[in-house]
Amino acid sequence: MNRVGAVIMQQILRQRMQPRQLQLCLDQVSPVELPHLSTFTQLRCTSTSTASNKQVTPPPRHDWNRAVSEAERIVGYPTSFLSLRWLLSDEIANVALHLRKLVGSTHPLMKTAKHLLYNGKNTMQAWGLIVLLVSKAAGHAPSIPDVEQDKSAGVLHSQRALAEVTEMIRISHLVHNSVVNLQSGTEAGQDATTYDDMSFGNKIGLLTGDYLLGHSSAELANLRNQEVVELISSAVRDFSESEFIGERDEQNNPLPFKPGTFQRPSLSVGVDFNEHDVMTPMPIGQVMGNPEQEWECRNILNAGSLLGKSCQASLKLAGQSEQMQRHAYRFGKHLALAWQACLDAESFQCPTLPLDATFSLVSAPVLFHLEHDPSLYKLLEPGKKSVDLIDYNQIHKAIVAGPALAKTKELQRKHTAAALSVLQHFPATDARQALENIILAMQDL
Amino acid sequence: MACLSTSGRVACGSRRQQAHKLICRLFLNHSLHSRQSSQLVAGDTPGHARKYRATHNEQLARSFHGLSFGINQDYLSLLQTSHSCSQPPNLRSHSSVHTQQPAGPVREIQIDPYIILDDELKYFYDDVRDLLQSGTSQPELDTIACYYFDGQGKALRPMVTMLMAKALNYHLNNESHQLVHKQRQIALFSEMVHSASLVHDDVIDQSDFRRGKPSVNALWNHKKVTMAGDYILSIASIMISRLRSDDVTIVLSQILTDLVQGEFMQLGSRETENERFAHYLTKTYRKTASLIANALKATAVIAQADDNVAEVAFQYGRNIGLAFQLVDDMLDFVSSTEQMGKPTAADLKLGLATAPVLFACEKYPELNPMVMRRFSEPGDVERAFELVHKSHGLEQTRFLAKKHCNEAIRLAQELTESPYQKGLQVVADLVINRMK
Repeated sequence: MNRVGAVIMQQILRQRMQPRQLQLCLDQVSPVELPHLSTFTQLRCTSTSTASNKQVTPPPRHDWNRAVSEAERIVGYPTSFLSLRWLLSDEIANVALHLRKLVGSTHPLMKTAKHLLYNGKNTMQAWGLIVLLVSKAAGHAPSIPDVEQDKSAGVLHSQRALAEVTEMIRISHLVHNSVVNLQSGTEAGQDATTYDDMSFGNKIGLLTGDYLLGHSSAELANLRNQEVVELISSAVRDFSESEFIGERDEQNNPLPFKPGTFQRPSLSVGVDFNEHDVMTPMPIGQVMGNPEQEWECRNILNAGSLLGKSCQASLKLAGQSEQMQRHAYRFGKHLALAWQACLDAESFQCPTLPLDATFSLVSAPVLFHLEHDPSLYKLLEPGKKSVDLIDYNQIHKAIVAGPALAKTKELQRKHTAAALSVLQHFPATDARQALENIILAMQDL
Repeated sequence: MACLSTSGRVACGSRRQQAHKLICRLFLNHSLHSRQSSQLVAGDTPGHARKYRATHNEQLARSFHGLSFGINQDYLSLLQTSHSCSQPPNLRSHSSVHTQQPAGPVREIQIDPYIILDDELKYFYDDVRDLLQSGTSQPELDTIACYYFDGQGKALRPMVTMLMAKALNYHLNNESHQLVHKQRQIALFSEMVHSASLVHDDVIDQSDFRRGKPSVNALWNHKKVTMAGDYILSIASIMISRLRSDDVTIVLSQILTDLVQGEFMQLGSRETENERFAHYLTKTYRKTASLIANALKATAVIAQADDNVAEVAFQYGRNIGLAFQLVDDMLDFVSSTEQMGKPTAADLKLGLATAPVLFACEKYPELNPMVMRRFSEPGDVERAFELVHKSHGLEQTRFLAKKHCNEAIRLAQELTESPYQKGLQVVADLVINRMK
């Protein structure tokens, strides 16, 4: 969801700069950040992509930046401070020292770190902010003692800690995902000159991710609520599982299934986790071959699970009813999916792909287009070795000409509507209003 | 046995395993490795057992000469004293409140912890694998996650955890099945966290073999291996959260933060000579001892033991864990890679100065600059290896480990006497006398 950060950044720039300046800056903070590509590819395109022509963007009816700063005011403070505590530890200072040795190398960890630190204020806050807003929107049971409450912000101290844990887990996943596959036989494992850098970068990345996971589990334990520990641990499980689904290239970037691999009737209802047993994994096998539901499952594991389960856990901490907790889960899930659809669509908004830009091969437009025209799969096959070998421009052209973008937009609207409708179960408060504003602003991006 | 070694960087060969079995037979009259055969041996007549012992002594000596080209005579004599001193009751000087000593020292009574815990440990690895399988729909994730739970490990951590659990239950006079079942989950957790750390270590160290088979990073995509490590942790956390004990979760979560902090301490340090040993001990505690200490403490917490008893469990685990790692660090200098016939010194090669080197620094200050540059210059590893053997570093390390084992035995004696409580004392001997 760090892509949202770039989007927020864009909004800030849009507000504060003249159009000409804006265009220049937008080139640097490219919106073309795709969830399924390696962080490396993501950031490479961030830094090198040239202008995508955006001359016909209508003025937004709902302003994203205002929606976010309004929301921050409501939860009491800039949520970018959420993550400061772990940044100030000895271990992370140590990491920073070691990272200096990697400067100049091509290890994806460098890009991830740069990304997290440079855009820090904007990328880190989004999920924590949502968790806090949902917490405030739902309120808490009268049985919660006063000392547990952060009166000024209207959330519990435990909920604030949970929001931090959510961010730490998400970052830990991003960092662990920057590990480079150095198996012998892979391209990365061959090059002796960069091998040492890569190997050292993997070490630092692994330890940093483990540090964040370790600390989040300690923070979780201190919440003294085992149902919450169970739920959030299962979100960590979902993150790991998401990296195993379907075919992968050498660096574990995902590829779609060959059309016709699965001959299943479309299910009328989507699949989701078993409400009564968090240990049960997502039954993703049931939906393979149905582009929309396959996309949904992949992205629930990848994003919706943590946001949804954190919202749910936050309401558990507040002593809210099971039913309200389920609403919170569904809200978080649909919001994450709507966000993802919005980002997936972004690469296909303009008629030509910016130079060097790429997109995820399991993003919604690609999956929809494969359903519409299975012959596109031919173009994807070189990607089995490495997704870098694919002719992105050609695929982009085909998809833009087809119905996939419209279907993706439809998908986004569907999840936006679902998130808004589930929000109606929450009492009308300024926090709920803030959530609605964020959703509406996102829809207009 | 490499599976016991926390660093575990070296593949263990069958010959070394054999040597280990022999040692176990020497001390316990039966093999730790295979419980079936150990039961057979335990049933032997005393005379038979003696014969057994004699022949194996010879074999042992042979296999040592075969294995250890560079081992100096000192070490072999050290070994010999080590088993002779495991017999006489020279440790009995520690009296304790609860225990009135039977005629001989505890270790003459043949208690094999693995046999008295057979009920708890028999299906241990099957249960871990079932648990890991139930959490995912992805066969490859399941395969990687289960890879090191193949039953080939010696399960030291679960064994000590269950031994302490049952000793505590006897002490507290609460031996309900329900309680034992919960404590067994804590034992599962300890082994799962250990394996998760091995999986991540494999990606970090890029070693090709572990426990005599290809390591996970040699077989699978490193990104997937990393995720599989996270997966094992998440499943272990879900399992523990289901015990619904806030305090147990808090105690066990300490293990994870300690493990990572220990790894960070190992990354590099610029401390002075005086601080170095303290740094080493803290690192050893965090990387190895904390897991055992806190798992044992958790079994006390879930049994609702008072703070003093929980502290006994914790300190016992801490001492065993420290001794275990000290012996491990010592063995790194005296074991060998079979094929090469040359010293392993895996820690030196990784740039790590462990206890034997730090002790040797006192006699040979020329080691100090090598420690500072992490043995990075050509010839450093060989020179340091030689100096460690010339000095008394190995004996001093062993002496320190022995002190921790004695302390562990003293602590175990604070619990009410039971086969399990005696087992805890046997474990202390196993740790100090093991040959990998």
